[in-house]
Amino acid sequence: MMKRRKKSFSDFESLDKKKRRVKFDFILFFLVIVISSFGVLIIYSATRETLPGGVTDPQYYLKRQAIWLAAGIVICAAVQFINYRKIQRYWWLILFIGVFSLAAVFIFGYEVHGSKSWIDLKFFTIQPSEFSKIFMVISLAAVMSKWKGEKVYRVTFKKVAISSVIALVFILLVLLEPDYGTALVYFIVYIGLLFLSGANFLYLLSALGLTAGGFFIALKSGLIKQYQLDRILVFLKPEVSSEGAGYNLYQSKLAIGSGGFLGKGLFLGKQTNLNYIPEHHTDFIFSVIGEELGFLGAVMVLLVLVVIVWRCFYIVSNSSDSFAMLLSSGIGFIILSQVVINIGMTIGIMPIIGIPLPFLSSGGSSLVSLFLGIGLVENVYIWKEVRKDYEIAYQELK
Amino acid sequence: MGSNIKIRFKIILYLLVVILIVIILRLYFMQIMSGELYAEMASEGITREKTVAAPRGNIYDRNGKLIVKSVPVTAVAAEPHIVLENEDEMEALSDCLNMSYQDIKEKLEKSNVSYINRVILKQDIDTSVIIYLAENSNKFPGVEIIDVYLRGYNFDSLASHLLGYTVEIDEDRLRSKKYEEGYEGGDQIGITGLEEAYESILKGKKGRIVYEVNPLGMPVDILKETSPTRGNDLYLTIDIDLQRVVEEILYRSIEEVRQKKDKDTDECYRVPGGAVVVLDPKTGEVLAMVSYPTFNPELFVGGISQTDWDNLNDSESHGPLHNRAIMSFPPGSAFKIVTAYGGLAEDIVNEGRKVNCTGTWLGLGEDFPKYCWKSHGSLNIEGAIKESCNYFFYQVGYKLFMKLNNAEELLQKYARIFGFGSETGIDIPYEDKGLVGDKEWKKDYFKGQPGYSAWFPGDTVNMAIGQGDLQVTPLQMAQAFSILTNRGIEYSPYIVKDIRDTEGNLFPGSLGEEYKDLKLNEYFIEIIEDGLVQVVGPGGTAAGAFRNFPLDRIPVAGKTGTAEIEGRQDYGWFASYAPVDSPEYVVVVMLEEAGSGGSSAAPIAEKIYRYIFNID
Repeated sequence: MMKRRKKSFSDFESLDKKKRRVKFDFILFFLVIVISSFGVLIIYSATRETLPGGVTDPQYYLKRQAIWLAAGIVICAAVQFINYRKIQRYWWLILFIGVFSLAAVFIFGYEVHGSKSWIDLKFFTIQPSEFSKIFMVISLAAVMSKWKGEKVYRVTFKKVAISSVIALVFILLVLLEPDYGTALVYFIVYIGLLFLSGANFLYLLSALGLTAGGFFIALKSGLIKQYQLDRILVFLKPEVSSEGAGYNLYQSKLAIGSGGFLGKGLFLGKQTNLNYIPEHHTDFIFSVIGEELGFLGAVMVLLVLVVIVWRCFYIVSNSSDSFAMLLSSGIGFIILSQVVINIGMTIGIMPIIGIPLPFLSSGGSSLVSLFLGIGLVENVYIWKEVRKDYEIAYQELK
Repeated sequence: MGSNIKIRFKIILYLLVVILIVIILRLYFMQIMSGELYAEMASEGITREKTVAAPRGNIYDRNGKLIVKSVPVTAVAAEPHIVLENEDEMEALSDCLNMSYQDIKEKLEKSNVSYINRVILKQDIDTSVIIYLAENSNKFPGVEIIDVYLRGYNFDSLASHLLGYTVEIDEDRLRSKKYEEGYEGGDQIGITGLEEAYESILKGKKGRIVYEVNPLGMPVDILKETSPTRGNDLYLTIDIDLQRVVEEILYRSIEEVRQKKDKDTDECYRVPGGAVVVLDPKTGEVLAMVSYPTFNPELFVGGISQTDWDNLNDSESHGPLHNRAIMSFPPGSAFKIVTAYGGLAEDIVNEGRKVNCTGTWLGLGEDFPKYCWKSHGSLNIEGAIKESCNYFFYQVGYKLFMKLNNAEELLQKYARIFGFGSETGIDIPYEDKGLVGDKEWKKDYFKGQPGYSAWFPGDTVNMAIGQGDLQVTPLQMAQAFSILTNRGIEYSPYIVKDIRDTEGNLFPGSLGEEYKDLKLNEYFIEIIEDGLVQVVGPGGTAAGAFRNFPLDRIPVAGKTGTAEIEGRQDYGWFASYAPVDSPEYVVVVMLEEAGSGGSSAAPIAEKIYRYIFNID
């Protein structure tokens, strides 16, 4: 039975087109479009007065983000034409592209804020570490899906070790840029996938333990300087500090707090428009939302983001296809980790780590890669639904 | 899929819910519970405030002639604690303001950096410099261009002692309680005279600009702007034309007196100073008040130079900043009106009782002879006033002392009734209250010297002729004479008649026509007045000065005084009023080291009456 079904499934593409029914998670897609469009608007609000980077056109960032959004939708649509099974089959190619593009940064890249994470492609610049998150998820999902069928407790150390080597290659390359924030996201995504792969908790614990040990050694050996650690951990100091390392956080808290229940109104954020919030169109975009749209706006945005994450998991929570399940969940982990770290940073409950807020921070690489990810989630959903249709048709035929 | 995975999905779902709750709680705490606090902190962080100077009120004379006005001037101000730390900036400022680096540094350092946050570096700046500073404002942090109002004087140094002057407020004053509210570095404040007395009325209300700054401290938006309110205007009792004439007469006459020689020493009179007060006795209005030497308040506009300041304070200059009209001097015989009134009131003398002046009064015993300036022979009280007989008044003073063994200190009592020994309450600061010596005073003054601390009959005898422990201001003397003209009604002298606010509403000056009935005996005053009229007539001590004055048309009453001071030439006084039947003017003249009052001071009063009554 098992064999026959598998074989029949591979014939799927030859199935009569009329019998194909378009299945698509409209909730997910709708929310993603809504939140990204809102992102374009809030970026406009954040940049129209302050003109970061010395631009002269108040609509510069608005237009740019709109173009990236369009590009994201196109990519999201384009991905639908590839059956995710094919992606699974060529995972090693994707692994290679991911690793190569990260390595390319060291040859072609240039520095922004002290990390070499950008490549200039003449017409636009890209940040490979954003796209490689997706590539790592695909690679790991492919590797881990092979554990399928084995009892959870029987996943061997060797197999887990292989997956951790793949993750480690990605993480180390990002760390070398150095981009600690993004590396942290990679790490969380890996732990998340390991968790859902069904691996023994012992492996999870040892992965966490090893990381903690590595971090401790890095700190002791001077690889990570004490002042860097202080900057990251400034949020732990209860007293409000408006100078030095605490400045960004202080201004962010002032902006969000002063927003009150309803906010100061779109385009009317004083702290935003007078340029008090640093990086307010990228890493601190949530401060702008908090200031201009208040508690209500901030909670709405948070809810939409959480529902998006939840859809990524929910779609595959009953899936018997391990690769589909891990792929979609991996994208969920990417979004979730960034939402928690970014928002947590702006409200002072997480360390100061510069990573973008998904769908909302200004920046093409982040937005387009997220749409690629959402495209893959939809892909999984579509083809899984289609397969269900096929199975029904097959049953009927029989 | 195993159930194990399902559990793990459930764990993720719970995790999502926990994350959601934590973030929402945190947002709730920040935005709803502490929202107002954060909003306050945020607005504090981005708003700044600065003031806009208000024009100071004008000062007009009684006829509405503008004497002092406010002139707007552009100035460069600096925040010391910012600029002092930036040597390049100070160099650049030195170049463009054409001031030495050292000058700038001193100016900023002098005004205690911790306290004053704005110091004016230079006033009256060229437009080109203003434009340069404005265009390069990013190169000059802590430097701003502000409007300040300086004083402009339409009559040069006229009435300068009355008016006072304005200066930039300094550190000590900023710290004091008086300037606690509404003052900041760079403000102009009134010093002495009316400028000081009416500071709160003249200064106006500053404008305020509340504005937002970006994180670099650059202003970006004005939130609130209130425009400054001009200070109130003062309308004086002074007649500026009379003031000018009196000043001219005084200065010219002093030059003339300096040509004369003291017969005893064959030295020219030095006349280092003098004062004239012209009062309207019916109201207490001061019509003119002159002090010599004088100063030009123009010197203080925009900050006085060290050289000018040193000159003003040099002892050779004889204190031109002092208003001698309210400083006290020994009055000499001009004080005899008090002794005369006391004698009449205590029934020691009467209209007819005569005394034979032998030139030497021995009432204190053979060992203490007191001399009169002349052997007058027999005279009554009117004659004694007319010829200023010391012998007569020694006698009166002695009897006042002897009455009840000086238990009531009668001479002092009458001196105080006539206003001596206490301020007249005129509305300008630093008025001297003078001195009427008595037992208590002497005891205190000679504390620890038992031989000197008792009040002797000789002390009262000396005081009776205006010598000894007696100090009187020309203004007090003028007030005492107006008490005579009013038959015992005392008006406090004052200078500000009206105050007019920016909307044109008029308020009476602070003192306006308050009076006090001293309950004096009119008959006694008339006896004294008869004597005073004779002073300017033939044989009187001021006869020479009024020889050519039409006394029949404008009868004048007056009293000369010649005060002797150890080691100095005599101080000359002449206190008077006219016309006698209905007095309109009280004129008091005092000259330091100028010889007898009859020859030095009385001619000045005569010239003033000539001007006032339009006599050629």
